Amino acid sequence: MATTATKPIEDIERVVIRFAGDSGDGMQLTGSQLTATSALMGNDIATFPDYPSEIRAPAGTLPGVSGFQVHIGRSDIRTPGDRPDVLVAMNPAALKVSLPDMEKGTTIIVNTDEFTAQKLKRAKWSSNPLEDDSLNKFRLVKVGLTSLTVGALDELEDLNKAGKERCRNFFALGMIYYLFDRPLEPTVKWLESKFKKKPLLAEANKKVLKAGYFYADTVELFTHVLRIPPATHMEPGEYRQISGNQALAFGLVAASMKAGVPLFYGSYPITPASDILHALANLKEYGVMTFQAEDEIAGSGAALGATYAGCIGVTGTSGPGICLKSEMMGLAVMTELPLIVINVQRGGPSTGLPTKTEQADLLQAMFSRNGESPLIVLAASTPTDCFDMAYEAVRLATKFMTPVVLLSDGYIANGAAPWRIPDESELAPIEIHHRTDEDGFEPYARDEHLARPWVQPGTPGLQHRVGGLEKAELTGDVNMQPENHELMVELRAKKVAGVAEDIPELDVLGDEEGELLVLGWGSTCGSIEMAVGQWNAGNDRKVSAAHLRYLNPFPKNLTDVMSRFKKVLVPELNMGQLALLIRGKFGTDVVELHKVQGRPFTIAELTDAFRANLEGGAS
Amino acid sequence: MTTATATKTWKRQDFASDQDVRWCPGCGDYVVLSAVHRTLAAIGRGPHENVFISGIGCSSRFPYYLGTYGFHSVHGRAPAIASGVKVCRPDLSVWIVTGDGDGLSIGANHLLHVLRRNIDVNVLLFNNRIYGLTKGQYSPASEQGKVTKTSPMGSIEQPINPLSFAIASQATFVARTYDADPKHVAAILQRAAQHKGVSFVEIYQNCKIFNDGTFNAVTNRDVRSDRIVFLEHGKPLTFGALGNKGITLNGVDPVVVEFEPGNPPADLLVHDETASVGLSFLLTRLAHPDFPEAMGVFRAVEKPVYEDELHAQIAKARENSKDTSLHALLRRGAETWTIKPPAAEGEAVRGEVESLGDALEEVGPEKDSYIADLDEDEGVPEGVARVLGTELSELTSDSDTVRVSADTPIGQVLEEMRAGDALATVLVCAEDDKIVGIVTERDLLHRIPDGVDLKTAPITIVMTPNPETLEPSDTVAHALNFAGARGYRRVLVVSEEGVTVLTVGDLLDFIRTSAP
Ligand SMILES: Cc1ncc(C[n+]2csc(CCOP(=O)(O)OP(=O)(O)O)c2C)c(N)n1
Ligand code: SF4
Ligand SMILES: [Mg+2]
Repeated sequence: MATTATKPIEDIERVVIRFAGDSGDGMQLTGSQLTATSALMGNDIATFPDYPSEIRAPAGTLPGVSGFQVHIGRSDIRTPGDRPDVLVAMNPAALKVSLPDMEKGTTIIVNTDEFTAQKLKRAKWSSNPLEDDSLNKFRLVKVGLTSLTVGALDELEDLNKAGKERCRNFFALGMIYYLFDRPLEPTVKWLESKFKKKPLLAEANKKVLKAGYFYADTVELFTHVLRIPPATHMEPGEYRQISGNQALAFGLVAASMKAGVPLFYGSYPITPASDILHALANLKEYGVMTFQAEDEIAGSGAALGATYAGCIGVTGTSGPGICLKSEMMGLAVMTELPLIVINVQRGGPSTGLPTKTEQADLLQAMFSRNGESPLIVLAASTPTDCFDMAYEAVRLATKFMTPVVLLSDGYIANGAAPWRIPDESELAPIEIHHRTDEDGFEPYARDEHLARPWVQPGTPGLQHRVGGLEKAELTGDVNMQPENHELMVELRAKKVAGVAEDIPELDVLGDEEGELLVLGWGSTCGSIEMAVGQWNAGNDRKVSAAHLRYLNPFPKNLTDVMSRFKKVLVPELNMGQLALLIRGKFGTDVVELHKVQGRPFTIAELTDAFRANLEGGAS
Repeated sequence: MTTATATKTWKRQDFASDQDVRWCPGCGDYVVLSAVHRTLAAIGRGPHENVFISGIGCSSRFPYYLGTYGFHSVHGRAPAIASGVKVCRPDLSVWIVTGDGDGLSIGANHLLHVLRRNIDVNVLLFNNRIYGLTKGQYSPASEQGKVTKTSPMGSIEQPINPLSFAIASQATFVARTYDADPKHVAAILQRAAQHKGVSFVEIYQNCKIFNDGTFNAVTNRDVRSDRIVFLEHGKPLTFGALGNKGITLNGVDPVVVEFEPGNPPADLLVHDETASVGLSFLLTRLAHPDFPEAMGVFRAVEKPVYEDELHAQIAKARENSKDTSLHALLRRGAETWTIKPPAAEGEAVRGEVESLGDALEEVGPEKDSYIADLDEDEGVPEGVARVLGTELSELTSDSDTVRVSADTPIGQVLEEMRAGDALATVLVCAEDDKIVGIVTERDLLHRIPDGVDLKTAPITIVMTPNPETLEPSDTVAHALNFAGARGYRRVLVVSEEGVTVLTVGDLLDFIRTSAP
């Protein structure tokens, strides 16, 4: 009889696990459970859900493959990992799609039940890879996941066969829990609450989870049990797991609470931004008003109306929706109202790649309005930074009375990370002052930040008119005089430029000067910083990194930072948009690194670029 | 908001602004503007409690000429902006001013949705059947065959009927008036303002410059009485200079009937503002030259109002929620875990150590140096260091152990425990007697999977494999910390002689008996 006793426990630093299956296989859910459990064990985590844009692409086909990759470790985990160490392939298509990412010696767990002639064909396999030598270089673990699952549920007569088979993802999860020494309790608890109203399903999934766990134990599938000790680098505090979209929603509500001004969110559903609307619709007890509009124009229009009414008006969408919001963004610039516009970017142009990530809307955020219409542009750098930047968006918009665009993207929006929950005292104050004083009131008079007064309609004596026509300075009356227009264009630009005085300077990771600076923005932060860390650990010729979260205006010291390096490398998930801005604004030349595959940079892609850009080629 | 002004009475002038009105002389918009001034004063809410939101067009310049709050927005979007304002400020009186192009072409979608949501705003649609501001192109309300700059051979488009649109969009208040009759305009505006829910008012408005006289055939003083039927709730539909015409239904078709004045037939259609949508719709289809065109309130029904429902949901969610603090928000929907600050290497954790309890709380793992330092600290009871620093080899264990081999079935282990000490610790041993796992009564309670055959299933499936062990030279402080940090209730001390199981109780007993 085999026992665990013969299986030594091995401590490992980190592991990358990918679940891949049909979009109906519950891979996102399985991955989320492993993530949540690992987070609770004190591990550091980063996740990458990769799902097809059709909710149910034909079963078993390559486009229908849904993946969830999680990187678990004890040290700084900043990306979901380049390549999986363990792949769980639920069917031939999932194997086919993931195989190019697998390196020699890694572990592949396959569901042998699905490798039928018909399904192999549907996944475009010419022969059964489980039967030839093609997978010899991997540690192949063949498991009849479907039949074992059905077997484990033999006694559950009330559940039909299809229902039983559907539990197979939990069998795989149970095996992974065994292999990586994870407790079952968090998932058991989750199943019990998730299926409170369907105890049969709770029961079935729990049984299967345990069956997978004990199967892995008993059948000696693995020679080792691997344990990832809790993360050691993490700042003390109370932690939770959070996705970017969730963090963004929380950041908005936190800002609203801190400011004591209600939040209004007007939006039209669109991937990958809908989760923000979902989250906020569920936060009514915080006084959050959500408005599912008829389109993005109306979503932003209603949000602008809310802003005009004195609330924190926010609208969120993805690139295609921003096209429709341009009009309201321009109107917000003209009326100088603090509208907040969130763009959770996805691959474009047009409908593009709804479920894939890209950073190609930076120039759209900067310029996609008629006329001279500057506004603040921010970009969140990690899932948890979405909280901070959403909060910051509210702070800056209301302080400067200007619209703000906050860029996120599919990668950090759906990705999850451990988050040290901030204490209320750590949040910057947001002081919102709605003008009520009639004395000397002029709708377009300005304070020291060049912000105009924010007046709530309903305030006696302060009635005034705003609108999209050019305004006269001070009175806000319609005015088309040449000098006035120029003055107003300059004032609006100056106001936004002045925000640079109110934001943190750019920090450099690594040496303050040197050969190569890697300058990134937005969601590439994790990949870049991890790549720089790894590079510097193994090379004498060091590389530094700096990461922009403020894109308009840029931090004051940006040119100074760039000037201290011989070369500046700008990796972007687009065709060089930040590079274009930097060249145009400062005339500084930079080296571009592009990727537009709907996926984040891998560490290897970045370190290769470091090598190529260090003169003389460091090793 | 309303309290301050409830006692004050407002005059028309209070609702005018200081801006020069810039419509063409003779434009119908002037009539409506003065009717609005009058109506607002009559309604009695202050200028600051009214918000006028418009799109783009001649008519949409309206807000500039009012002393209220005003937002002259962008083309077609006023309903969207107004929705946001009204949801945030249900206490304000919100008006939308739009044109036939603004509201029915570029903004038709928004208009539809503000109507169907029943947001309590008042929509004034100025219909001049032309694009005025852009100097005379046909609009979606222009009649077929209309010659304009963009339709030199006549418009080939079917016009939209604004009121049919409004009824089909389920507006709860629908009315029509015309600029040639300022009193009628004022009366209708007042009704619209009083309606709770969305109010839609079409105003026939003459564009003096680009579509002069477009409604003359209906609204001219000399033909009016024969070509307009004024709707009055509960009254039959009659018209005609002599009061001798009326409307009846033939099946579902309206027909004009003539009768002797003062002797109307019994089957005249009686106007009902709350009638079925079908009947309201039918009235919107009455059009010159076959029929008189209807003026007045077509429809007025009560339905739940969007912003009321939204705020009711918020109130309900608040009522049902135990904790709406920021603290609770940030912990929503996830479990949390805590990372404790590590005590720096070799550095004693120095708080106020006044008792053994304090010392125990503060001592960290591997903090023997801390223990050593304790004796030198002032205020620490003497002997604390001695007790905490005692080596485990000096402690006695009060608990039993049972040794079993790895293939022992769970059932057999249970038997043995039942026979001996139920709280005994089960040590699972390999052939060389090395301990490969540990099983506690807790494991037996919680870890046995459902459906397992106790007669055959090996004890290994419930054990904690490769338990971490302590050495006899480890201290009491270390053992307590070790057990506490990992949530163990017992620790294994492995020496050359064998294994001793110390429970937390054993450790505490020792401290109790030797405490200073
Ligand atoms: C996005 C946009 N497209 C076009 C225009 C030009 N435009 C201004 S008003 C108008 C039509 C207005 O017609 P209507 O709503 O009937 O108003 P009227 O001037 O007749 O009162 C047009 C096409 C604009 N301002 N904005
Ligand atoms: S163009 Fe027509 S609608 Fe516009 S102001 Fe002149 S008369 Fe009035
Ligand atoms: Mg018009």
